[in-house]
This record gives sequence, C-alpha cells and structure tokens, in this order.
Amino acid sequence: MLKKIPRSNLLFFGGALLIFIIVQVAISTGVLNDFWSTIIRLGGVMAIVSLGLNLIYGYNGQFSLGQWGFYAIGAYVAADITYRWSNDSEATGLSILLIGVLLVGGAIVYLRSQLGKIRGLDALSAFTMYFLATLILGAVAVYLGKLVGPAVAGVLMALPASWSMQIVFILAVLIAGAFAAEVSFLFGLPVLTLGSDYFGIATLGFTIIVKVLLDNSDTMLGFQEMKGARGMVGIPKITTWFWVFFALLIVVVVMRNLLHSSYGRAIVSVREDEIAGKAMGVDVAEYKILAFVIGSFFAGLAGGLYAHINGFLHPDTFNFIQAFNPMIVIVLGGLGSMTGTLVASFTWALLLEGVLRLILPQGFETWRFVVYPLLLLLIMLLRPSGMLGTYEVPYLRQVLPPLKAFAKKINSSKPGSGDPAPVQEATK
Amino acid sequence: MSDNSMPPSPDGRQSILEIQELSIQFGGLRAVNNFDLLLRPHDLQGLIGPNGAGKTTVFNMITGVYTPTAGSIALKGLPITGLEPHEINHLGIARTFQNIRLFPSLSVLDNVRIAYHTHAGYSFADGISHSGRFQHKERELTEKAQDFLAVFNLQDRQDWTARNLPYGEQRRLEIARALAAEPQLLLLDEPAAGMNPAESSSLMDLIHFIRERFDLTILLIEHQMRVVMGICEKITVMDFGEVIARGNPQEIQSNPKVIEAYLGPGAAALSEKFRRKRSSEAS
Repeated sequence: MLKKIPRSNLLFFGGALLIFIIVQVAISTGVLNDFWSTIIRLGGVMAIVSLGLNLIYGYNGQFSLGQWGFYAIGAYVAADITYRWSNDSEATGLSILLIGVLLVGGAIVYLRSQLGKIRGLDALSAFTMYFLATLILGAVAVYLGKLVGPAVAGVLMALPASWSMQIVFILAVLIAGAFAAEVSFLFGLPVLTLGSDYFGIATLGFTIIVKVLLDNSDTMLGFQEMKGARGMVGIPKITTWFWVFFALLIVVVVMRNLLHSSYGRAIVSVREDEIAGKAMGVDVAEYKILAFVIGSFFAGLAGGLYAHINGFLHPDTFNFIQAFNPMIVIVLGGLGSMTGTLVASFTWALLLEGVLRLILPQGFETWRFVVYPLLLLLIMLLRPSGMLGTYEVPYLRQVLPPLKAFAKKINSSKPGSGDPAPVQEATK
Repeated sequence: MSDNSMPPSPDGRQSILEIQELSIQFGGLRAVNNFDLLLRPHDLQGLIGPNGAGKTTVFNMITGVYTPTAGSIALKGLPITGLEPHEINHLGIARTFQNIRLFPSLSVLDNVRIAYHTHAGYSFADGISHSGRFQHKERELTEKAQDFLAVFNLQDRQDWTARNLPYGEQRRLEIARALAAEPQLLLLDEPAAGMNPAESSSLMDLIHFIRERFDLTILLIEHQMRVVMGICEKITVMDFGEVIARGNPQEIQSNPKVIEAYLGPGAAALSEKFRRKRSSEAS
C-alpha cells in the first residue's frame, strides 16, 4: 500500500533534516555562539515573514507594506500571553485571547458562507457585519476568559513547569498568527477593493498606526506590562532553533501545497491578469483576501517567535522604515520564488547583523547601512529578477503530469497542425 | 425570429441569451443605445460594425465587466444584469478577448486548469495538506484539461509558458481555456484578428467543430468579412452604439445602411452604380 515517495521529496526533507542537525549540533557544542545562533534564528523568522509577503506580493500581486504591522501584532500578542504566565502565573490573558480568536474565527467562516449567498453585497456592508460580530464576540471572550482563566491556570500549574511553559508558548505563537490573520481579514476587506498602488499606501498607513499604538500601549491601550515606548522586557526566551526550524518547515510545506492546488492557481491568476481571471470565474476579491490573510497569519506566527528570541520588544523594531525589510528580502530573492525568499532572508540576516558588523572596524557599525544599500543596488543592477529569479528547488517546483497515452497517440498521428478535422475523428 | 421586436419568451428554454433595450452611458457618451439581441440554442451569430461602434462594450456588459445604465440581459430566462463577472461565468458564459489575455507566466496546462478551480472537488484543507482526495481529484481534472489541450492540438505544449506560444496557438489556447469552464454560450471577440487567410480558414473550421462537439451557442465579433460571412447564420450590424441592420450574410452585404456605415455617406449609391455598370458590362 505504501506509495513510492518521489525523489524530490526525499531530497528536500533529507536536506532539511541535515541542515537542522548540523546547526543544532553547532549550537549545542558551542561552535556557533549566542550571537550567531540569534542571527540564524532571526533569519528563520525573517524567512517566515517574507514567505507570507511573497504570497501576497509575489504570487497574488498585491503590493503590501502591512506585513510588518501584522508581525508587530503577532509579537506583542504572543509576548503578552507568555509574560503574564511566566511573571504572574495567570492564564486569563491566554484564555481571553484563545476564546476570542476561536470565536471570531468561527464567526468569520460562518458569516462568509452566509454572506456569500447574497448577490451584489458590497464590501463595506459585509465589513460592518464582520466588525460588529468581532466586537460582540470580543466582549464575550473577555467575559468568558476571566471566568475560566483561573481554572486554566490551575490545570497548567498541575503540569511540570517546563511543560506548561512550552504549552503556553506554542499556544501563544498560534494565537498570535490567528490574531494577526483575523485583523488582516477585517482590515483587508474594505482596503483590498483599492487598486494595487493605493493598497500599498493604505497598508503602510496600517503599519504606522500599529507602531503608534505600540508606542502608547501602556496609556492608550492600557496594557501596563507592554511599557509603551520604553520597550517590553521580561519576556521568557523560549524560541530555540528547533522551534524556528519547525515553524519554517511547516510554513514552507503548507505554502508549497497551497500554491500547487487549485486555490493557488486562482491566487496566481489574480497576479497574472485580473480581468481574464474574472472572465474565467475566479472570484478575484475572495482570492485577494485569502492570500492576504494567509500571508498575515505567517507574519503573526513569525512575530510570536521573534518576541521570544531576545526577550525584549521595542516599538522601534516595528517602525515603518523596517517595514521595507521583508519587501527587500523577497525582491532580492526573486518575486514568486520560495527558494529565493529562503536564501535571501538568511543572507539578509547573516550579512546585515553578522558579517558586516564584524568586518567593519570598531566604531563604524552604522556604516553597514551605507554598505548594505550599496550591495542591494549592485545586486538589483546585476540581477534585476532577484538572486534566484524564479528558480525553485525540485520539491517546490510544480511537476506537470505526463501526457495521457491517448493524447500522445493523436500527437504522433498528426504532428503540429492547426487543422482540427483529424483531431475530431481521433477523439470521437 | 423574423421580426426584430422579439417578444419575451415565457419559456426560458427558448432562448439562451436575450438582451432587451440595453444601453450604457459613459459620462456624456452613449456607447450603446437600445441594443437588442436574441440567441437561441446552437445559434452562431455575428456582431459587426466599424471601430468604436460599441461591439466590445456589448460583450463587456454581457460578461458583467460593465453594468448597463438601462435594459436587461437574461441567460436562459434568468436575469444576469448587475452580477459580477465571475458569477456570470459560473452561470455558463465564457469569453475570449480582443487582445489575447492569457495568464502569461503560467504553463499552458495551468491556463486551462484554472477553469476548474470552483469545482475542483476538494476543500481548502485538502489543498494545503495534499491529501488523498486532493491527489485523486487533481489527477482527474488534469486529465480533463489535457483532453481539452488535445482537442486543440496543444497537448505537446502543456509545459510551455503561455507567453512563449506562437500567436495562433495563443488564440487556440484562449478558446480552449474558455471552453474548459464548460459554458453554454461562448463569446469570441475578434478571434481572427492578426491571422493570415490560411490561419483564419482553420479557425473557421475550429469554430464549427467546437460548436458541434460542445453543443455551444456562439456569438462572435469579427472584422474579417470573409470569416463573418463564411460562418455566421445571422449578423447584427452596429454603428455608433445602435443596431443598424440584422439579417443573414446576403442581406447584410447588400444593405445600403451597412455599406454607408463602413464606407461613408454616398458609398451605397456608388456601390449600386458600380454593380449596375459591372452587370451591364457582363451582359
């Protein structure tokens, strides 16, 4: 019953395992010190964010600078959950967010199936309904979360301390992704009706709003532990190389499967030609939202991982200037190439934070922001389609199925002719 | 069918497409005014007219790209005015474009496979996990797509990038893609544009062939008179957004209004004089 596993799959997963083991051994034995291990983990996190953006911009054609905003949301959501657990041993934050994310997610899926039946419903009316549902369910979640919080905390307390911490961490990262995805859905619904350029500006605005809110998180939002512009400290450092690698691998596999399914083809058709897509029955608005939400989910996930690398978050990390980082990475690696994005994000992290910091003489660290743009400029001049263009490793490449025998027969009987008459006979 | 008044048929099966008093206004410009059309099952009709007459605008209104200012469009008795383009496609109208609109950087096979995305038969969860159901359904729809390519003699091009195909094959691929959505009504916008006489002859054969094989109703816009007169059973002529003549190819060819629309005022009289002169010379 066991089917033969394709060689490309073996190569890919074997290679991935090998890389994981090599890096893990190097970290464990101290060959890679804390500095380098952090950089590699940052590279992995960057790869997840950038893959999400590549789905939105590279595959779906929507120029978005909002990715960094969703990354920030993910980081702070996850950090808040683990902070409250590790410092105050309370699970109310976790419970509220978990219930809220599940309720709102369910409501969105349900409303979407119901609203889909109404013909000619405009985006803003639909948005209003989703928004009202989110507000109501959010309030419900806060109430329920406060109710069950102590009980959840009790259950977690009963487990060994390291276990409960890991469970809270995994949940926090997943919640961060789902939270970012839901925010992106509500934000994208009205905004994705804009054309591509205007959409870019609107998403930049989103990133700026998120940054300002985080600057004032202790006063405007009322989360004292986030400490606003002073930066959030005391987040447990749990994100190991294992977690980064594991998350990245899942993201890569899911995205690859998605792109090679009919959903992925519909997503790419939106980039190729919206009008032709509509004429072929592709619901363009729906697939724009789908790509945007999945991309933001990845961003939120990456944010959750990032928050637990340094144990410190500062709103300046999520400044809109930094919002161009994932954009730079995907353009550098090649738009619409997953391999390119993976290579470029690790290169980016190693180069900017690692190599340049080391080769530049003491006191000249800031010069790396001169060297690095120059390098970018050079690469873009020499290879305008990105480092790897549209190259993919075999596993990520779409393999077209061979022709059926009967189609081959027609082909051999009538090579390359525009005359359909003989074909008619052959297929009847 | 004989008169142009076209009473609304109470029985929906009588007509595939029924357009009544269709008008659209862009600012001060009335691009299409009081356009009527009736297509019965298995019809092959033509829509002609000088450049800017509003032919493509009519296509765009039928397929939902533009919303008409007035009038109604019904597909098999069901009003489709104001629906989204993709909804209209799901109801059974497919089209090709005047300037070919393929998905240029996708493979030839994927261009056709996109047509199946709404009835692929697997859920999103199947899609991202590549489950057994996905593998099964995906193989099915791939074979269906390959069948379509074979019908259009494009099967050995399946892994080509669509933009690298020669012009005539791009046209054929666009028609194949439109048919993969399994429509009842096919709208062809200048299918013979840029083709030489040999290519357009084989295109005419192809149009006849797909009509029989897929049991289609076809409406086409075309500038090459040889193609229109050669395959259409009934022709509607438009000028400045209005229908100026309707009839079979012979009627249209001798209609003075049509000649004037194409060649300018006085041309009809001139051509009449020319014909009389020629017939007197012959006798």
